[in-house]
Formats: sequence, C-alpha cells, structure tokens
Amino acid sequence: MEGSVHILGMGVISALGNNVEENLHALLAERTGIGPITRLDTRHRDRLPAAEVKMDNATLAELAGPADPRSWTRTALLALIAARQAVRQADLATDEGRVGLISATTVGGMDSAELIYPQFFHDDAPEEVLRFLGTHDPGDHSERVAMELDIQGLVTTISTACSSSANAIMLGARLIRAGRLDVAVVGGADALSRFTVNGFNSLMILDERPCTPFDRDRKGLNLGEAAAYLVIASERYVHQHGMPSLARVSGYANTNDAFHATASSPEGEGAFLAMRGALELAGVAPEDIDHINVHGTGTLNNDASEGRALERLFGDRVPPFSSTKTFTGHTLGAAGAVEAVYSALAIREGAMFANLRFRDPLEETPALVPVLHTRTGQRIRHVLSSSFGFGGNNTSLVISAR
Amino acid sequence: MSWPVHIIGTSCISPQPSFDRDVLEEVVAYDRHPLRAITPELKRYVDPVRGRRMARVSRFGMACALNALERAGVKEPGGIIVGTGLGCMESTERFLETMIANDEMMVNPTAFIQSTHNAVAGQIALALKSRVYNYTYLHKGLSFTSALFDAFVQVRDEGGRDLLAGGADIITEDHYAIQRRTGSLKGEQVHNLEVLRSRDRGAIGGEGSAFFVLDQRPRHADDVRLLDVDIRFAPALPDAAEHLHTILDRNGVGPDVIDLVVLGQNGDVEADLAYAPAMRLFPRATIAAYKLLSGDYYTANAFGTWYTWSALRSGRVHPEVRLQEGRKGPYRRALLYDRFRGGDHSVVLMEYG
Repeated sequence: MEGSVHILGMGVISALGNNVEENLHALLAERTGIGPITRLDTRHRDRLPAAEVKMDNATLAELAGPADPRSWTRTALLALIAARQAVRQADLATDEGRVGLISATTVGGMDSAELIYPQFFHDDAPEEVLRFLGTHDPGDHSERVAMELDIQGLVTTISTACSSSANAIMLGARLIRAGRLDVAVVGGADALSRFTVNGFNSLMILDERPCTPFDRDRKGLNLGEAAAYLVIASERYVHQHGMPSLARVSGYANTNDAFHATASSPEGEGAFLAMRGALELAGVAPEDIDHINVHGTGTLNNDASEGRALERLFGDRVPPFSSTKTFTGHTLGAAGAVEAVYSALAIREGAMFANLRFRDPLEETPALVPVLHTRTGQRIRHVLSSSFGFGGNNTSLVISAR
Repeated sequence: MSWPVHIIGTSCISPQPSFDRDVLEEVVAYDRHPLRAITPELKRYVDPVRGRRMARVSRFGMACALNALERAGVKEPGGIIVGTGLGCMESTERFLETMIANDEMMVNPTAFIQSTHNAVAGQIALALKSRVYNYTYLHKGLSFTSALFDAFVQVRDEGGRDLLAGGADIITEDHYAIQRRTGSLKGEQVHNLEVLRSRDRGAIGGEGSAFFVLDQRPRHADDVRLLDVDIRFAPALPDAAEHLHTILDRNGVGPDVIDLVVLGQNGDVEADLAYAPAMRLFPRATIAAYKLLSGDYYTANAFGTWYTWSALRSGRVHPEVRLQEGRKGPYRRALLYDRFRGGDHSVVLMEYG
C-alpha cells in the first residue's frame, strides 16, 4: 500500500482532436468541440448539439490500425487509438512485469448494435451484420485492445455510468499500490449512439444549445464521444525503466450518494465524501488544491448538488474550477479518463482551462464563479477531478505534480 | 501488511434449490435448457412497489445480496461490488426496441434508467442507504471474479472490512437468440446432468446470482478462508497447468494438497478439452463440474464459487457432478478454475478447517 503511482503516458481522442496535443491546443484556444450533429444518423440531429469525433469508422480504423478492422465497433476503435498513444508515449513493454488493462464504458458497442439490431434475428442476416454479434458486450473493446497491445494478464471492464473511467483509473492505482500490478493501461471509451441520445433526451436533460455548466440559466448537458487512456506505474517500475513521470495519481475515492437512481442529493453528500476521501488519501488539505476539473454536466441537478458539495468541502475558498465538458460534451464512460488527462495537462502547462459560456452563478451558490477564460502561467501542484454518475456513483481523483 | 480473508456469509439463487442454504440437499435434473433460476420469495428483500420499477436482474441481485448480508450478520457492508456479464440487458433490449419501433419518438425513460449497467449495485446501495465504495464490473467470463478479486484485495491488501461481492445474470430473449446464432448453445432438448457426455459443440444456458461477504475476522468457527483470486485474459495460454502452478506456488502450496477441484466444463466438446491439463495436475483430488447444475453464462462462476464453498463446508460433492473420484471429504483445500470462451481465466483458492 506504499508508494506513488506515476503517469507515464497519455492518449486521448475527442471532438477536440485526435491526440493529446490537438486536445490541448483546442483547450488553450478556447475552441469547443460541441456543435451540430453531422455524423450520427438520429432524428434529433438538427435540434440537439453534441461533441462528435468528425471521422467515420473507416477513417478511425486507419488511424487505429487493428489487424482486422471489419468487426470493430466505433467504441473499440476510439479505445485503440487512445490506448496506442498512451502506450507509445510510455514506451510500454507489455512483456515486462505485471501489466494490466482496465477499461471502462457505459454502452460498449451500442453504436454498432443499434444499427444492425433489426437485422440481427433474421435468418437471412448478411455476414456484415453477423460479424458484429457479441460486440455490444462492454468487455469486447477491452479484450480487443488487450489483444492489439499484446497485453495478457489482468484485463477487466468497469461500467458505473458516468464515473466509469475514473473508477478504472482508481482500480489501476489501487492495484499498483497494493503491489499486484507494476504498470497498467487505464481509461475508457464511449462512442456517441442513438441509444444514449434518446435515453438522455427522454430524461429531458439535454440542452438544445451548447451547455452552460454552473450557469444559472443552464438547461442540461450535451453528449460527446471520446476515448482516453493513461499508462500508470509504480515508483519502482519508473525507477527501473528510467521513464519520466508526467504526473502522479495521488488520491482517489469512490462513494455512493444512495439518494436516487438518476438524481444527486441536494446536499451532494456522495460527491462531498468522494472529494474529501480523495484529498485525504493524497494527504493534501483543501487549501492545497490549486484547480478543480468539476463533473459539471450542466444539468440543473448535478451542478446544484456538486456546487453545494464544493462549498461544504472548501468553504468560501473554493479553488478555481472549470467544466471541460463545455469543450468535449459529456463523454460518459470516457469522461473520467479524458478529464484526468486534462488535469495532468493543466499541471504540465500551468494552465486552467475555461468553463465556456458562463454568465451568472447559481442562486444556490452565488459565490461559485468558474474559470471564465483559459489561464496560463499558473503554478499548479494538485488538481481535483470529479466524475459522478447514475446509480449514485461518485468518484474523485487527485492528480499531482510528479 | 496482509490480512486473512474469511467468507462470512453467502447467498445463491440458481436453477438448484440453493437460496438461503449452506448446501444443496439434492440436485435438480432438467431435460431442456436454458436452466431457469428458482425464484425465491423476493418480497422479504425487495419492496414490492420499488421492485416493480426494477429490472428482473436487479430484483434477483438485490435479494441475493441482502440475503448474504443477513446470513453474515452484517448490516453495513464496507463495499458493494457487483459483477454482471449482461448488466441490465433486458432493459437495454426493451429501450432499443421501442426507440427503433417508434423512430426515436415518444421514448419512455424508465427502460433507459434501468438499462444503466450499475443499476443492481446502485439499488443495493439505495436499499441499505449505504454510501460506501460501489463498483460494477462487466467483463464477460471475468465479471463476477473481477468483483470477488476487488473485494479480496480490499480485505487482504487494504485492510477493508465486510466487503459484499457478487454476480448476477439472467437470460434475456435477445441475448439468448444471439448465443444461438453464434452456435454457443446446444439444442433445447438436453439433460443437464448428462451434458458432459455429449459429443457436440455448444453449452447449456443458465442464469442466477451469488453473493459473498468477506472479512478479516471470522464470524463462525467453520468459516471458509479465501486464499487467492486470480483473473486473467489470455486467449493464447496454451497450458493452464503452468498458470495454476504459479498461483499455487505463490500461496506456498503444491497441487498435491488440493483435495477438491471444481472446473468450468460446459458440455462443449471442443472447449472442454482445455480443462484436460488442469485435470492432469490433480490426479488425487476429487474433481467436479459445476455448470451441469447452473448452466453456462457469464457469471456462472459465481455459482461455481458458491458450490465450492458449499462442498468445503459440507464435505460433500454430489455424485452427479463428479468427474474424478479422488480424496473423500471432508476437504481442506479447494480450487475453482473456469476458462470462459477460451480467453477468460478465473481461479479461486479456498481453505477450510
């Protein structure tokens, strides 16, 4: 249970770009990835904006380069692209030491399943449909990525709604600290699907404009698609391999709000406990946190609840905070990992990214004004990153300078 | 620092009369599959009003989880960890069907809310008003064993207390059709207890749930100790014997001290060949095949773990599931090995007495 957990590599593909540097440029330039839906074939495309990766699956397959791309879902392709980047940066030798892969997703290969579902059960379903049988499974993308990266060992998949990939990072960090893994590829992926668009639409929590988290006039969230992975390793592994550490995963906690299947409690109890738990494990006081990448979906319920939790933990000294979902949309199972990558970038670049489109604070928390414009030249040692989800699932991570 | 891990409570819902029991009095034979779980009286554990708004897998899983806690005498678990291969697939299928049929109009959110895969663990937390660690794993044949591994690590390495871990899956219409389509199931007319004598491919389907409560401190003189849990994705693993050897080695034991081996053969004549090296490793042990009783599904190894636990406690393995007559009970050490669809390897090592 001793020692630091270091980040050795990071990869991300989102509406902001196909790799870490493209994402960073968009964040620094305050260029959002949210816009009209042009790729997903949904009836709601003219009404609901989203943050799409503007490439079709064939182009993604070229970028990802799986051995045989024909039966790969979009979720799996996004996952492989981001995971490869992380592994390349870390120069990970998958045959050395105990290597694990922990991935996360909410709807797995739904992007393919929903297209071919009506044809699945016909006796004359063509081969192009049948080859996707079984790819809807959440574990499908993890095993495909493990095969491509030649990782044989501890491979598993977490699905805890919007906190999924934050939990994948947390599990990886726990297993490294417990001495059960030396190094792990951790993260998550979710492609935009009609299933999720219609699901969130039926809950009436999608904003018809680009979302405005922590703004009084917020109407809901925008969905996005992404994948992000980190290579994390033990202190000893880092020394043995002489790899530069990019940052550390220093704290983490998972709690349950135990309030409602889809809504957060007004006092943000679960969120409060997750944030406090992550700080305690990191051994940092609230005043040591330099920046917060909030969950900040832009729904009425989340932001009020999260805002209350922030004030309970930090009092009247809430650190500068922002929701990068104003850039990426809510990427569901990928969100925790995307935002962990951004948190590490915030430390590396000395930057706090903007909470775009904010105008007025919430009535409940009038003092909570997020970072309005991307700031650079900041000294950032500790970033708190939160991901809260359905089923009352709350996870907070502390990412710290190496 | 390393803590001992005791199984202080269990519960199992399966096609066998296992619910709220320590041992199967008898095994039930079926002449067709998939094997359906025997539904226990749920209303003792699931509020009927709330239950109506829950998916079937959530009601099952919740009843099983709460029963395990009750049997362990634990009111507030230190963590709630669920493994499910399919999650809330039934609700997913329903939402998808309506969405397509209605061309994305007038879609009811209930099925979407229920389709969230962590609904079972979330509902357990809600029922217990429990704010502790709450995880859900969905990884094919490693779904349940990932949950058990997580709980094991929390007690063994992290000093956690009273961890609740379990698995739950039910048969859904679409998924069953998909499995038929991929040839992973046999024809419907099959005798479950004779399935290992079949000469064809495909398994028998099943469903169920099993939960376990783990703690550092035993609650009863005859609690079983969990020595190790290993999960591994390795489709290219040619010989499981070496893998099992490694796990036994790190626990300081050899194959000769394992009295009981419980394996995951499912009646698929080709897939079952993969268990041959494991069987050869234990020439003196009694070897049993649990999927005859539960059917094969993603979290069938939760039933297998329960059966192994039960056999240790009772010192008895039903003759119907014995593959090799070896040491007689009472058994001291048992090993469960499940190799799901070739690549997902789960190993659970237990000790009793």
